[in-house]
Amino acid sequence: MADQTDIAKHDVIIVGAGPAALSAAIYTTREDIDTLLFERAVPGGLAAVTDWVDNYPGFPEGVAGLELATNLQKQAERFGAIVEFGEVTAIRDEGHWKRLETTSGAYLARAVLIATGSDYKKIGVPGEAEYYARGVHYCATCDGAFYRDKRLVVVGGGNSAVQETMFLTRFASHIDMLVRSTIKASEVLQDELQKYVDSGKVTVHLQTATEEIVGEDGKVTKVIGKQSDKRVEFPTDGVFVFVGLKPNSEFLAGSGVELDHMHLVKSDENLKTIVDGVFVAGDIRSGATMQIASAAGEGATAALKIREYLEGHAHPVQN
Amino acid sequence: MIKNVTIFTTTTCAYCLMVKKYLGAKGLTYDEINLDENPERQQEVLAISGSLTVPVTVITKDDDSNEVVVGYNLAKLAPAVA
Repeated sequence: MADQTDIAKHDVIIVGAGPAALSAAIYTTREDIDTLLFERAVPGGLAAVTDWVDNYPGFPEGVAGLELATNLQKQAERFGAIVEFGEVTAIRDEGHWKRLETTSGAYLARAVLIATGSDYKKIGVPGEAEYYARGVHYCATCDGAFYRDKRLVVVGGGNSAVQETMFLTRFASHIDMLVRSTIKASEVLQDELQKYVDSGKVTVHLQTATEEIVGEDGKVTKVIGKQSDKRVEFPTDGVFVFVGLKPNSEFLAGSGVELDHMHLVKSDENLKTIVDGVFVAGDIRSGATMQIASAAGEGATAALKIREYLEGHAHPVQN
Repeated sequence: MIKNVTIFTTTTCAYCLMVKKYLGAKGLTYDEINLDENPERQQEVLAISGSLTVPVTVITKDDDSNEVVVGYNLAKLAPAVA
């Protein structure tokens, strides 16, 4: 076992600071459980970069994703949670303590909550990496403003693609949505989108696979697609990609935590992983429903299970 | 030494907020150019950074040289403002 002296120790370390993590932190810190969160990007996770959230309970008119994320963080910090900016690169079970290797050094925790969520997937087509941030984007709330009165292509047909397409209509002159099969977004979102389709602002192209992003003189000029084996071209000034989520679980290699075939973390009904003292909540969990509301609920549940765990695993007697 | 810090942002950009919080926590003041309010300055972002994205942080040193950090990139931002 590696030396554990002179290493920062906490009751709970939460990996991530999205809705599941912050919800868990609210619960643990209110019970005076010393809690540290590690976040490598933005507290609030994908919620923070979502334009508008209409299905989180308690907000009859909806709420801006950034505002919801900010308030979740404030609430957790109010009870003493600390959000450290950095990345956890490995977790090792050392019995009573779990060791976390991070970009700020090693830490020890009596319990760990994995709540790293997911990031937006890339399509994986030629031109996508070449034009990243110069015509290809993954964050509409960040970069939509650059496309005022310009044509856009949105790739994707799920909730995010539809939601962010509607956000982008504030700026773009026209949006072509390229949907590989059919639109999978919720009925409510599809009904809202229809208004933009009826007005001519958005055109939805079903059964259209995106094959290449093409540019000239350093600017994106068109997207090439395939529709029923026929090549199609979409002139455009920019491309926004919303083709699903990729779980942030690479750092769990060697930890003993079991992943499913989609690299999501397996757990039991108590949100425990196969590693004693390591729990999971939110989008990274196998079987999660990928909603902010359910992530928050899982975070709260995980916190209660962690409390039970800590009560049953008191500090070892120091001789 | 740092002479000036300028951040290009948009209103709904979460990463822009993180950069502002980071600079604030370091006790640094900055000029913010919100591209929703100043769309005419968007091309300036492209010219400075080679990107059409925010946040873009421009750190001007005492010798008037500029260091540009694109995105919420602490690995680059931290040493640039140290």
